[in-house]
Amino acid sequence: MTLAYVFRWELVPESAGLLLHGLGVTLQLSALSFVLSLGLGLVVALCRIAPFRPLRALAYAYTQIFRALSLYVYVLFLYFGIAAVFGIDLGRFAAGVVALTLLNSAYMAEVYRAALGSVDHGQREAALALGLTHTRSFTSVILPQGIRVAVPGLVNQLVDIVKDSSIVAVIGVFDLMGATIQLVNTERAPFEFYTVTALTYVVLILLVSAAAALLERRLGRHLTGGSAGPGPLERMRRFRLRGEVPA
Amino acid sequence: MTSLLAYDFVWGPVLDRWDLFLLGAWLDVWVTAISFLLACAIGIGVALLRISGARVLRGFAFGYVQFLRGVPLLVFLYWVYFGIALVIGINFSPIQAGIVALTLTGSAYTAEIFRGGLQALDAGQAEASRSLGLGRIDTYRHVLLPQMFRIVVPPLGNTLIGLLKGATLLSIIAVHDMVQVANDLNINFFTPFEAFTAVALILIVLVAALSAGLSFLERVLRLP
Repeated sequence: MTLAYVFRWELVPESAGLLLHGLGVTLQLSALSFVLSLGLGLVVALCRIAPFRPLRALAYAYTQIFRALSLYVYVLFLYFGIAAVFGIDLGRFAAGVVALTLLNSAYMAEVYRAALGSVDHGQREAALALGLTHTRSFTSVILPQGIRVAVPGLVNQLVDIVKDSSIVAVIGVFDLMGATIQLVNTERAPFEFYTVTALTYVVLILLVSAAAALLERRLGRHLTGGSAGPGPLERMRRFRLRGEVPA
Repeated sequence: MTSLLAYDFVWGPVLDRWDLFLLGAWLDVWVTAISFLLACAIGIGVALLRISGARVLRGFAFGYVQFLRGVPLLVFLYWVYFGIALVIGINFSPIQAGIVALTLTGSAYTAEIFRGGLQALDAGQAEASRSLGLGRIDTYRHVLLPQMFRIVVPPLGNTLIGLLKGATLLSIIAVHDMVQVANDLNINFFTPFEAFTAVALILIVLVAALSAGLSFLERVLRLP
């Protein structure tokens, strides 16, 4: 079979400048959203285990609602809906960052919660027995260990952030996908440009996944449970396999 | 009463068109259902290749999963609908393109889930079944696959919910789903908040219903 289609791959290197600019925006968008949702996710996770019922309920609703929405619906809601009601023009890039952060912080909150829950009860009991207050035993004993267990799961979340970030192109952010859409419109070579962009995302995702796997192995060296039963990482993995946190 | 907000809430247009929203949501639901079933069928095949004896097949399945899990759904959707369709000369309807993109993306996830499920089974199960005289195919059909399904229900449920959320993207290539209904409404009446709130609420209800159904299924399937 002969294809009637004439490939014009030479257009891609000619447009490398725009694509690289878009890639830069994608990286900025992802990195910023990742860092912000690391912080917000921890706050939400702490609220979920706070000794104050309304706060717990609020944090629970937060994680349930944001994990039920697709980023696309949320970006539209935020960029058009909320902006119209409050009369604020967030700007495209900022709207993208806010949407990505709010959505992913809900997933990260679940990772933190699972990790904090995986810290052995004995740690807390030992800290209390040594005379530390409840607050102090949490901040100095439980939290540092929990965060350490959470690290691979949190970095894995970056995979989703990078992939999801392509969606903000629909509100006109000039990220890698936004640049590609514009190039397709002007150059009329959809197959060539979307192929290159798809492959670029695959490479990005593979790099992030490799980093997460490396971190998991390095942390795993110190966190295996030995003969005393499953270690924190293993317990965390089982929690994920139960499907409470999408892998 | 003067409102603090400069925005007048007008729920009428949304409420008048509740039937359109439901029709749009129904489209998202059945597109998701078809894609999920196809993704499961392909996923089992890819999972079996992933653990097969032939190196080439394992390599192919590994590449398939890594590649498809790396492409964002939006990029894939555009690629299928505008790019691949043009090259191979097939004119996909928007819904067909959406189903292709959702199915292939989903199949990479289901393949990993099925592989995990098969590998989680004790090796003794296959050995016992073979030593009882069952053939390879019967071993899979009567011993391994039934046990695997119990393990894979929760993660498959997550994939199903992920596909439903992914289906909302289809309005970008002009599929008339619930997001498209909201877009139209927004253009005609300029009620973005009301329109997208309706879509968000429908999505939340659908996901909550799915989650509830899945935890029920999990309870039913749990071993006594």
